[in-house]
Amino acid sequence: MPAASAVSRPASTWVREAAAVFAKEWRSELRTRYALNTLALFAVNTLVVVSASLGPLGAAPGRSSETLPVLLWLILLFAAAAGLPRSFVHEEETQTATALRLAATPSALFCGKLAYALTLLAALEALVAPLFLAVMNLDVARPGLLVATLAAGGFGLAAGSTLVAAIIAQARGKGTLFAVLSFPVLLPLLLLAVELTRGAFAGGGPPGQGEQGGLGEAGVALMQLLLYDGAVTTAGLMLFPVVWNP
Amino acid sequence: MPPALSFAQVRRRFGRLAVLGGVSASVATGEVLLVTGRNGSGKSTLLRCLAGLLAPDSGTIDYSEDGAPMDAAARRRRIGLVAPDLAFYGELTAAENLAFFSRLRGIGRERGDELLRRLELPPDRPTAALSSGMRQRLRWAWALLHRPRLLLLDEPFQNLDAAGVAIVRRLLAEHLAPSPAAAGAPGLAVVANPVPLEIGSVAGNLDLGA
Repeated sequence: MPAASAVSRPASTWVREAAAVFAKEWRSELRTRYALNTLALFAVNTLVVVSASLGPLGAAPGRSSETLPVLLWLILLFAAAAGLPRSFVHEEETQTATALRLAATPSALFCGKLAYALTLLAALEALVAPLFLAVMNLDVARPGLLVATLAAGGFGLAAGSTLVAAIIAQARGKGTLFAVLSFPVLLPLLLLAVELTRGAFAGGGPPGQGEQGGLGEAGVALMQLLLYDGAVTTAGLMLFPVVWNP
Repeated sequence: MPPALSFAQVRRRFGRLAVLGGVSASVATGEVLLVTGRNGSGKSTLLRCLAGLLAPDSGTIDYSEDGAPMDAAARRRRIGLVAPDLAFYGELTAAENLAFFSRLRGIGRERGDELLRRLELPPDRPTAALSSGMRQRLRWAWALLHRPRLLLLDEPFQNLDAAGVAIVRRLLAEHLAPSPAAAGAPGLAVVANPVPLEIGSVAGNLDLGA
């Protein structure tokens, strides 16, 4: 008789488990407010420093559309790096991971944590992006493209951070490892997101490239960003059971 | 077909340190396997291997329920574990912790409420504010939540007062031999660091020595 396995489970069971993890994450977060406070404080502090140095009273206006998209994504990256890895690391540090390993399907657990990271990052973007535009006195030529870039980039940032956080959770020197591992994982995402944001601020596609037939350069770059999101999420779903269980 | 657990020549090293050097035993329904030995002899390591939380370097672990053998992933989901390093979410109450794991396991909240009542746990106190004895009772509630057939108990009476010991001994006796009115089938247990149990039939005493 073949060995029974916990891997094949009905879809409804899987969704229920992922939803339970998502709800638990937010319940715990709303009680402790650790990640919310960390992300918001880091983002607002950085924003104030950037605006005081490079805002309307700082940098030459002509350089804004080149420099500012980089700064926006750096603020989002470092704020995410400060708060998101805690999700898995905290489970190991407080020894709650054992109970989770014995009760949750790994892929459902990953998706529940990812959904939590996504909503947290969406909240961060909803706070940071309008503030950034306001303090930098920026006009957005293509607001739709900016929203799409923030959505797709935020998804990739959450998926990449969740994957790396899951990998490093059981290791020593978690902070260093997160930086080392997240660099190659998140670099393509950041390059694409910065180019698209530049295009959204300046109008047209990514700078230096005119509109082409079909999707245009911006559309192609957005598709690449979505492909990146899909690839990282798929990699997470495939790798997580291996790194989570012995 | 009743559940049964057997393992043979289970070995596990941590680096150069050989913790388990070829351990074998078997347990059948209604039986308890006692695992004894000094500190560091590998009792907890053996239980973690049996639970599927640690992969042995070599050896076999066979566990089946209703005639169906289970791999490590399936075993992880089925067993009930009480262990000193098992912890719960400190910011959530005991009831919320059990409700979360009930949802993960697809069982109603009533079972968690029943166990909270039987173990005399305060449902609305954050877990971080529970005493060590109360946390041990919560570990028992968590382990029994999904009515597992195989219980792995590592220092199961740790930090419990006399009343707590009496409650969990009753629960263990019911697990091994449920009353005809109870819904569950008889289970089996592996107990590390046991106090004299006098519960169930002893399958053997596996002494891991020094």
